[in-house]
Amino acid sequence: MANQGPKSQTILVVGGGIAGVTAAVEAAETGYDVIMLERGPALGGRVAQLNRYFPKLCHPTCGLEINFQRIRKLKNLRVVTMASVSEVKGEKGDYTVSVSVAPRYVNANCTACGACAEATDMEVDSPFNYGLSKTKAAYLPHEHAFPMRYVVAPSAIGTPEADKIKAACKYDAVDLEDKGESFDVNCGAVIWATGWEPYDPEKLESYNYNLSADIISNVQMERLANHDGPTAGRIVRPSNGEPVKKVAMIQCAGSRDHNHLPYCSRICCLGSLKHAVYVREQYEDAEVDIYYIDLRAHDKLEAFYQRVAADPQVNFVKSKPASIRIDEEGRPVLCGENTITRELYEAPYDLVVLATGMKPAASEGYVPNIAMEQDEYGFLVPSIEGDGGIIPAGVAAGPLDVSMSVQSATAAALKAIQAVGPKS
Amino acid sequence: MTIAPPEQAARKYDLGFARWVRGNVVNGEKMSLCMQCGMCSGSCPIGTEMDHGPRKLFMMIRAGMKDEVFNSTTIWNCTSCYNCTVRCPRGIPVTSIIQDLAAKAVEMGYAKDAQNARFAKAFWWSAVKFGRTDERLVTTKYYYSGGLVDFFKKGLGNLKIAMGMVKTKRMHIGMPHKIKDTKGLRAILAKAAEIDARESKGGAQ
Repeated sequence: MANQGPKSQTILVVGGGIAGVTAAVEAAETGYDVIMLERGPALGGRVAQLNRYFPKLCHPTCGLEINFQRIRKLKNLRVVTMASVSEVKGEKGDYTVSVSVAPRYVNANCTACGACAEATDMEVDSPFNYGLSKTKAAYLPHEHAFPMRYVVAPSAIGTPEADKIKAACKYDAVDLEDKGESFDVNCGAVIWATGWEPYDPEKLESYNYNLSADIISNVQMERLANHDGPTAGRIVRPSNGEPVKKVAMIQCAGSRDHNHLPYCSRICCLGSLKHAVYVREQYEDAEVDIYYIDLRAHDKLEAFYQRVAADPQVNFVKSKPASIRIDEEGRPVLCGENTITRELYEAPYDLVVLATGMKPAASEGYVPNIAMEQDEYGFLVPSIEGDGGIIPAGVAAGPLDVSMSVQSATAAALKAIQAVGPKS
Repeated sequence: MTIAPPEQAARKYDLGFARWVRGNVVNGEKMSLCMQCGMCSGSCPIGTEMDHGPRKLFMMIRAGMKDEVFNSTTIWNCTSCYNCTVRCPRGIPVTSIIQDLAAKAVEMGYAKDAQNARFAKAFWWSAVKFGRTDERLVTTKYYYSGGLVDFFKKGLGNLKIAMGMVKTKRMHIGMPHKIKDTKGLRAILAKAAEIDARESKGGAQ
């Protein structure tokens, strides 16, 4: 074997969520050149959209801000947003990765003053709030966005609104002619941290997600409880803004189900326990019913389950609800069989939260044809024949919570360093 | 939350029953996949008309409650809407298991007086004999199977409906309609029975 070093020692990180950011920062802090690509307009991914973490109930913004500070200090870490990978060629030590960057229509001159958003009346569904609210056609991805730069929605381009947005900018930051770009990156290893998508609750036919605004998914609940969310953090009925008295959480909504996601996503049980805490913190008289097949609060998370279960106003109903119908007053009614009392129930609620699972983003086709295999569910597994130059990290490799994602990403950073060899 | 007490204090349990169901009932081996989530019972449109929902029935099979399972109305009142089968998160063909449990109940001498079983027998008699169902003969045979009193009671009770059906040509009087090739049909059924017997003997399920 020829004793020659890798052509490139650059490490490419695909995905700028918590796993991608962690892997990039960890690798860059050891001195390697790192390029991080993010498909969206800002870093942080799903974690930036969370209200609080379980089990300690601290805020993700804090940890993200620390990571963004680390990124700012690293001269050898380059972040490219709006970027996706179209092709990967080559082998360990010498990959050529084709990257295409979608137009943002706002350049680096942006100071995030917000004049563009004020100038337009056009509104689009807020992707950050999972469609629970609207945002102006020129918007900051979110309060703590990194990079702190506005975006213009593609639907505004070519309309008079776009001209209004451009005219409002004092810094010449709006570039309506932005066509995006594409370029090749030469790198020695690729960390693939493309994360996940929430499972589409519309696919749960008998739960009639579309029939009522009061049936939401667990990721939407995170936004509803967040001060930066559609209701400034007040948990209310989305249909009429009234306070909630009775809330139901449906576990395994589309998970462990051969018609949907056949696997357990690991996080939804704890997520719903956390949501029960959100509700109970805001309402002294509210009742929360958690419908479950079995609750999976593994290892140290058991203590959090016990803490929530000690609340007499949080009830656990062992049942997978069969369907949701809407009653005359417009309230969602859960129908099913309580498997402990063996009775059929029809229970109306003010708010129903569907604990939907994590679907690997890789299954949505964000993975070009590379030396990596997908398991039967779409999660990435390193190819046995592969040379170890492409390393999956975080939820791209399997359903994980945030802390486990960070561990996975740190491990991936080390593997990438091993793949490109000692710093030359 | 209160847990309902058992309906009877003393019960007979056949501890080999679950194994027997797995080996002898069509798709019975898939019953092992059941995780008791309750989706089937909650989805059943006539769940209130059954002694036990499918979930509970499966649990009773596991517990060895053979007599209760075979005597339950569940296996007869199933309308084969397939809601449970479609929605079952484990992909268990619930409907087909329940259907075959009904067939096995008859084979094993249970459900002699179950009206659904009697109706099914009358229906099958007509289907085999004529290749069609003759409403008049099926209902007559079914009513008669419940005894002479039942025959007159039900027959007279439904006379007005029957006359209305005759008037609107929904039911005819005269020789029952037959398919052209009743011999061929019987040959098909004989072959099916032969395959069924061979497969259940070999235990191939």
